[in-house]
Amino acid sequence: MTAYLIRRLVTSLIVILGIALVTFLMTHIIAPSPGRAILGDRASRAAVNAFDNAHGYDRPVWVQFGSYLWQLVHGNLGYSYKLNQTVDSLIAENAPHSMWLSGISVFLSIVIAIPLGIFQAVKRNSVADQAITAAAFTAYSMPQNFLGILLIGFLAIQWHLFPAEASQSERIIPYIFAFHSNFLPIATLTITAVAGYSRYMRSAGLDALAQDYIRLARAKGLTEPTVLRRHLLRNAILPMVTLIGLSIPLLLAGNLVVEYLYNSHGLGLLFINELGNEDFPTVIALTLLGGIATVVGNFVADVALTVADPRIRIN
Amino acid sequence: MEPVLEINDLSTHIQLSRSVVQAVGNISMSIAPGETLGLVGESGCGKSMTGLSIMRLLPNGGKVVGGSIKLSGVELTKLSDADIRDVRGNEVAMIFQDSLTSLNPTMNIGRQIAEQVRKHRHVSRAEALERAAEALSIVGFPNSKERLDNFPHQLSGGQRQRVMIAIALSCDPKLLIADEPTTALDVTIQAQILGLLDDLKQRLGMAVLLVTHDMGVVAGRADRVNVMYAGRIVESAPTTELFTHMHHPYTQALLGSIPLLTQNRSERLFSIPGIPPDLTDPPPGCRFAPRCSRATDQCRTEEPALEPATNDHHFACWHPVDGPIVRTTIAVNGTAPAPAGAGEAEHSDAAPGAPETVAARNGSAAEPAFGARGWQSGEGDDRLLVVDDVVREYPVTSGVILQRKVASVKAVSGVSFTVGRGETFGLVGESGCGKTTLGKVIVGLEKADKGQVALRGTNVTGLRDRQLRRFRKDLQMMFQDPIASLDPRMRVGAILREPMKIQGIGTKRQQDKVIADLLGEVGLPANAVERFPHEFSGGQRQRIGLARALTLNPQVIVADEPVSALDVSIRSQVLNLMKRLQETHGITYIVISHDLAVVKFLADRIGVMYLGKLVEMGTGEDIYLRPVHHYTAGLIATVPEPDPMREKSKSEVGIKGELPSPVTPPSGCRFRTRCPAAQQICAEEEPPFRPFHPGHVAACHFPLQQPIDGGDPLAAQAGTAPTIAGS
Repeated sequence: MTAYLIRRLVTSLIVILGIALVTFLMTHIIAPSPGRAILGDRASRAAVNAFDNAHGYDRPVWVQFGSYLWQLVHGNLGYSYKLNQTVDSLIAENAPHSMWLSGISVFLSIVIAIPLGIFQAVKRNSVADQAITAAAFTAYSMPQNFLGILLIGFLAIQWHLFPAEASQSERIIPYIFAFHSNFLPIATLTITAVAGYSRYMRSAGLDALAQDYIRLARAKGLTEPTVLRRHLLRNAILPMVTLIGLSIPLLLAGNLVVEYLYNSHGLGLLFINELGNEDFPTVIALTLLGGIATVVGNFVADVALTVADPRIRIN
Repeated sequence: MEPVLEINDLSTHIQLSRSVVQAVGNISMSIAPGETLGLVGESGCGKSMTGLSIMRLLPNGGKVVGGSIKLSGVELTKLSDADIRDVRGNEVAMIFQDSLTSLNPTMNIGRQIAEQVRKHRHVSRAEALERAAEALSIVGFPNSKERLDNFPHQLSGGQRQRVMIAIALSCDPKLLIADEPTTALDVTIQAQILGLLDDLKQRLGMAVLLVTHDMGVVAGRADRVNVMYAGRIVESAPTTELFTHMHHPYTQALLGSIPLLTQNRSERLFSIPGIPPDLTDPPPGCRFAPRCSRATDQCRTEEPALEPATNDHHFACWHPVDGPIVRTTIAVNGTAPAPAGAGEAEHSDAAPGAPETVAARNGSAAEPAFGARGWQSGEGDDRLLVVDDVVREYPVTSGVILQRKVASVKAVSGVSFTVGRGETFGLVGESGCGKTTLGKVIVGLEKADKGQVALRGTNVTGLRDRQLRRFRKDLQMMFQDPIASLDPRMRVGAILREPMKIQGIGTKRQQDKVIADLLGEVGLPANAVERFPHEFSGGQRQRIGLARALTLNPQVIVADEPVSALDVSIRSQVLNLMKRLQETHGITYIVISHDLAVVKFLADRIGVMYLGKLVEMGTGEDIYLRPVHHYTAGLIATVPEPDPMREKSKSEVGIKGELPSPVTPPSGCRFRTRCPAAQQICAEEEPPFRPFHPGHVAACHFPLQQPIDGGDPLAAQAGTAPTIAGS
């Protein structure tokens, strides 16, 4: 198992290296001369050259890539000339908000979706199952921004239950405890995720229910709740582990649509704003971060599955 | 003695979305303590539903609609859900067919046994685990305490079945329902598991309801047998009585359509026409009437009741038969196969079965032509297909970063044989012996790592692309699974046309003609071309598979387990068909099966494989009557035969232990780890093939017979006492 994990780690590192190469080339193609981009069209040729020379942008491409990697390894993601601060500090300011918002939503959706999916599998084709299925399909197929607008329209504007805007606190602790303010963004994210997860869980539950070990468990005389808890659940959530691992990028990269819609501090909002500002170092650093988060998510999912499934754990 | 289980007039229905399946109809039976009742029938006859009705574990929509089930006088159908749960696993335990899927893969086996003990015995976790270890040691696990932590995937199929039995007996049930307990296992393991069940029944005094499709299994293990057909019990009798003096035509036909090891293979197998009725709309009279040769108008309108013929023999038929179908068999001396070619008596008796073999043996015992390769050819010079030293291995990789090959699964390790035109060569062996891989190499679906397969002198293994495609025309395959091997979205016409299209043979009209002719030949209606595979029954689908293999008029058809997925009554139809088509088309078959009786019925010559090696080769009679290799003899001893006299006289477990890993096969003779005669030399030296009769070779250092290279074989044999096969 250790060998497997080490191998998996090494391949993950190789993929991250590839992502770094791609993002670097993107920077290079978009702005081969950062001096021109920063100093503006009206700067003199000499000024641009001097700027590029001072910052090392006139060196060969591979040397620049090497120094880019060197910076990355040291946690230096670049410098935003538009906002006049390091990308690192931008991320440090915004990431906690995104991580909280996405994290609590993923947690809530797992807690809701697993029992819901199992319930649907056990009561398959009942009225309740079909009603939940219809609701899940509606929520799943609805664009997230539209769902958000609906929620704002009814819960915020019509009935004044929750504010239409997320907490504007820049500090993370008050932001976390602003449950009332953050209700709508969390609800929007959770509803969409529950819709997807519960479908998945229902089908995993149906697969597990059809297995002979469920029948044998009943033949042992166990009560139905015990059968479901002890024999069905563990097997049915194994496929969910991978799915949840793939949600990890959301935690780190933020959720573009929801953060924008509710004007919530976070990496997603930062990304959209800086895209409009043509702040390429920031945009590309966030892209890189998203890529790394995806790889990390996959890795974590594999590790979790290895721990959860004795067939992989013990060879 | 008061019966443990008494079922009276039980009916179970299954509600589907638009119809009701009358799965079990008005059946009655009882089992005494310590008795084994066999419940036999084909798939869909309601035998499993009967078992599940007792446990009240019917699938969705299933419901007991009438009758009573009494366990030691307690009416089970009236119990509350909570009360029936106290019965399940406690007073009645059940074991299922598939031990791979019946154990929870994410829970160790100790907990899986202990949870039942805790449910019914209200003991502490430690005490329950104690009991689990005890149960494991009863079913034959050494070091059972350490085994508690094992997960199912760490165990072999036979071991998992033992775990399931351990679960079943952990609370000392009064009744054990064994639903096809050994169907998924190899014969050698099957014999071990059945032996274990018998032993436990005697030690623990349980009653056993043995549900199976295999007449051979009930013959050896059941005290009484109930035969089910289409939801009804049609006949019930003590085992020996049922096999020798059956009265119901279905019982007679079912037994008659099973190929026997003693079968005279020149005779057609008896077969029952048609297929079992649809139980959503069963026929009004006797349910067997549409397929019965004795049926009259009375049978078609009026259903016969289960009436006693004698005290303990009941049957439901208006026109009963008396005793089995007469068929000619080859002679067998004594109750076990006689390994030593038992002298003159056998010659005269064997006459109808294998005149050519006998003649060959009498005439030419040890002629010089019996050279290095001479034995490989069954038909003189006509060497249509030559398999020469074929090796196929699959790499096992390992390594932290770079995956490198560290070992290999030795699927096929140097197999050679020759098949003549029009001949049928059978390959028999347990799962994992490499027979299927070898079949795939022969038709070019797998590459050989070493060695070659030559068709009419051309090495097929070296061919590529277009040349290979041309040769594929002559090498076709027939698959085991009639459902998975036909594309569900193609009409039968398109399935049969596809090979001709690929090979570019004929115009559309000519292809239509070929398809129509083929359908006629395999006994399917002409309108089948318009239909999809799922509209056909299993037997019909296997006919389509055979027709597809025949489309290109191949020289060789490799049939991999051609009838294993079929019910007994359908099986004999397909076997007869395969034989008939061979005669009309002059095809050469290579038949691959784990079922020795099927192979023996079809094949002129048989190769016995063990762990990637051919260990013995000869005619069916050579293999069955005069086995030389200990594996062959053990295999024959473990095959359950539908003959109570022979089964009950068989001694204990034929072959001990389990198949070693094909990654690290034993040195020398690969069978030595399980062989009763193994000695030092078997580990050091691989035994060479030696001839024992013309065309009969085996690779064994301590053969059960004298090889013929030294002196007169018949004289030599007289002094050789067989050491195995329980005689």
